[in-house]
Amino acid sequence: MQALLAFENAPPFTAPLRFFLTAPLFGVLAGLLVAFEGADLFASRWSPGALAATHLITVGFMLQIMLGALIQILPVVAGANLKRPLLVARLVHVGLSTGALLLAVGFLFELPAFLGGAAALLGVTVLFFLAATAAALAGVPSTSPTIRGIKLALVGLFCVVGLGIAMALALAGAWSLSLPELADLHAGWGLGGWAAVLLAALAYVVVPMFQLTPAYPARSSWWFPVAMLLMLAVWSVALLFEQSVPARLAQFGAALLGIAFAMQTMRLQAKRRRARPDATYRYWQFGLIASVLALVMLSVVAWWPEAGELPGWSLLFGILLVAGGFLPFMTGMLYKIVPFLSWMHLQNYGQARIPAPAMNKILAEPGMWRQMLAYFLALALLLAAVFFPARLACPAGLVFAVANGWLGWNLLGAIKRYRSHFADITLKLATS
Amino acid sequence: MTTIRSFMTDDHRRCDDLFAEAEQAVAKKDFELAQAAFGHFRSAMLAHFAGEENTLFPTFEARTGMSMGPTQVMRMEHVQLRSLMDDGMAALQAGNADDYLGLADTLVIMMQQHNMKEENILYPMCDQHLSDELPAVLERLESELSEE
Repeated sequence: MQALLAFENAPPFTAPLRFFLTAPLFGVLAGLLVAFEGADLFASRWSPGALAATHLITVGFMLQIMLGALIQILPVVAGANLKRPLLVARLVHVGLSTGALLLAVGFLFELPAFLGGAAALLGVTVLFFLAATAAALAGVPSTSPTIRGIKLALVGLFCVVGLGIAMALALAGAWSLSLPELADLHAGWGLGGWAAVLLAALAYVVVPMFQLTPAYPARSSWWFPVAMLLMLAVWSVALLFEQSVPARLAQFGAALLGIAFAMQTMRLQAKRRRARPDATYRYWQFGLIASVLALVMLSVVAWWPEAGELPGWSLLFGILLVAGGFLPFMTGMLYKIVPFLSWMHLQNYGQARIPAPAMNKILAEPGMWRQMLAYFLALALLLAAVFFPARLACPAGLVFAVANGWLGWNLLGAIKRYRSHFADITLKLATS
Repeated sequence: MTTIRSFMTDDHRRCDDLFAEAEQAVAKKDFELAQAAFGHFRSAMLAHFAGEENTLFPTFEARTGMSMGPTQVMRMEHVQLRSLMDDGMAALQAGNADDYLGLADTLVIMMQQHNMKEENILYPMCDQHLSDELPAVLERLESELSEE
């Protein structure tokens, strides 16, 4: 308790930063893969290219940012201090990035040994991360929906990785499993139990914080994470006993919960008191609309399973939810977090004697807006490529790669300005 | 029951409201109104800091013996927030909307994450450690916050 809230325990900037700067590279890789594989990738969600691209994005981009962000915010929102945050960040970053690459190569070239290696490496890395965060969170009471949401999301992370390892072993020939159903459940735990619960837990803090909206109602923010995990638990048990009706009902329940959360966030944002819409706000609005559309598709499949067999249906759903929903949420947050952390570290370094430049001097608005338009164009092309793969797969992949490269470029620019201000402050501190 | 947490959290929200008024005025390019609104916001914030630094933190420190812990970090963040508010006021007086909006963005996040640490961690600790002198502490805080 003594050290609580002390700056010395706040992780150094390089701890989360390495994750934030690596993630866009995986976005570029995924885009290039789509461009290179072209129409073959769009043949089905099970095509080697589609599986590889999906995991470049979900593990290489999403998981990367989520773990980096958790390392940063656990001390702030939960007062949970990781022991040796820089060491944890280094190990997790290397394990995760290497694992994501191995996994993509394993899928793309259908190499069971690579899949097995990736599963082992990602499994060890995530278990290590979970052990480090569990140790930090032990004894932290769940006094806010955010703290409880984070704890529950970590359960989801454990489940998605466990299922992923089981499937990788099955693909490597170790044992036989019914893979398509298991893959759906794996995606459910990953996107619902882990990503959506973590997103909601953080949204309870950052939506009111960035936009000055009213707070989320206490009751729904308390129940959303529990209800989501409950749906996934029902789905898992139903699958275990090969009961398709409860499994579909649970999918429907999870979809409804997601829609309810998105609608609630839209309602709050409509009451925001910041005067200007900024790139983060636009990214969020866009992500909320795309997620609702995707979740409506999921609800339809729950009642009418044949819809899932329609050509392009599952690809469309996946692109809308992941590239249309989650990625915009994360990019929007990076555009606030990176300049703010730059400012904060400069401010602390200058010991309040030498002022730090404001956030818009570190990462200027126009660059973010242009990158965002490029990203929206990439998404439109990806969605259209589901219907016209021969013509549009290649340009869609290229624009997606450009938009992600641009994101990386914007963040790097911010870090370059951070470094030059840092050098400036060093000089001024030495001479003052 | 009023607790330190609920009382001080309400005051944070009141400061947020005053901040929002200033920003709305800047959006309408009404710098005179913006200066007045930002002035209200700043006095409310300064009164809040004064209540914490003169009453709440010393009482907490005396009771727990933690003088270099959370309260020290909060004091340092107050220094940063004061300087951001000074810069914001200067930008408004110069009629520089772009500078103001950049500072406002920084100020909002700094202020909100500071408030969050107080509301979720420090105030609950205060409620826990100061339970027997709660009414007296609250009364002193109340009179300090009304002296803007």
